[in-house]
Amino acid sequence: MSFRTFPPRMAIALGIVLILVATNVLAAPATYQLYVDGLSCPFCAYGIEKKLGAVNGVQGVETNIKDGTVIFIMKDGVTLDEAAAKQAVKEAGFSLRKFEQVRSASPGTPEGRAK
Amino acid sequence: MKTVVKTGLAAWGLAAGTAWSAPITFNTALPVYESGYVLREQFVFMKNADDPTSAKRDMEVTGLVSVLGYGVTRDFALFGMLPYFDKRLDMTMGGQGLTRRRLGVGDLTLLGRYTVYEYNALGRTFRIAPFLGVKAPTGDDNTRDGLRRLPPPVQPGSGSWDALAGTVFTYQTLDFEIDSQLSYKANREANGLQAGNVAEFDASLQYRLWPRSLGNGVPAFVYGVLEANLVYSAKDRVGGADDPNSGGTTLFITPGLQYVTKKWIVEAGVQVPAIQHLNGTTLKNNYVLSTGVRINF
Repeated sequence: MSFRTFPPRMAIALGIVLILVATNVLAAPATYQLYVDGLSCPFCAYGIEKKLGAVNGVQGVETNIKDGTVIFIMKDGVTLDEAAAKQAVKEAGFSLRKFEQVRSASPGTPEGRAK
Repeated sequence: MKTVVKTGLAAWGLAAGTAWSAPITFNTALPVYESGYVLREQFVFMKNADDPTSAKRDMEVTGLVSVLGYGVTRDFALFGMLPYFDKRLDMTMGGQGLTRRRLGVGDLTLLGRYTVYEYNALGRTFRIAPFLGVKAPTGDDNTRDGLRRLPPPVQPGSGSWDALAGTVFTYQTLDFEIDSQLSYKANREANGLQAGNVAEFDASLQYRLWPRSLGNGVPAFVYGVLEANLVYSAKDRVGGADDPNSGGTTLFITPGLQYVTKKWIVEAGVQVPAIQHLNGTTLKNNYVLSTGVRINF
């Protein structure tokens, strides 16, 4: 009975591929929660979603009018700058009360910063 | 005679800033987001009758009013309002029925509104916004029919450059919104007629009827609306003298409904006069019906 063994070079290449695949599977976008003051009707919510949706690197924006929050999901590897969020909320005509990161960007991915 | 149209449409003329979920008949202090647009298309039908004279005048005005708002900055918004009118005057002259009618584009109103104060908290906002505007004589004011030149109320335009100014106060919560506005319109002379200046006080309550409780996301709202417009119109001046059959005070009450989503609003209201103290033989206002849509983009 004989066992076939991988040559060392192939084993290293396979290892790298496995690491990359695992990194990709585990990659999660950075997510933020913005607490917005002054948001009090559905028609007003359009402006804030439009402004926040225009920030670089944004994947999705979800508004909850009842608690005045906006969930901000970034593209993989991109983080959100608080100043950029504050400016977008201000341009929409409202005030940013609190900025909170609820999920960090997964490690090992090239990190950008949204402006 | 011109008073009745002027009074009946006074509130609509100043509604140029009404582009948000807001009062149906006048302005609001709510923001237009920076670089954002709002479009309002409004169908208006006004009926004026109860003529005490033998002429038995009966006037109907049907209008399609287009309003475009643009957020120059977060605090400064510009609005343009252009109406298209179908004006019809039925009357009796020498025992004969007579109809005089004109369709056409009316006068363009341009309005700038600046938010000078705002207080924002969770689920509510309070704002104060003065506004200043001008009405340009873009509508035809010298049209004729087979008889002769049409009377001023039937002309699509006034022919005069007029100025308007005011301040609007808005308090909005998730459950209700209250707006009030003080405004003044100074009319200038054209074709030998200077329409009387108009002072107005408006108030509006919009109350969320549905949904009764809010969940996640941004649900559509149904607002019940109740508005009041107190309109004082000075006497017109014709050939340098006051026209005794013009001017007066009217209190309108407007019940209405609004369906408000993130992207659009559809609404309807009926403006009915609760009190009318009009001078001389000025035609009384019976009602003003309004329905329309507002779109965010």
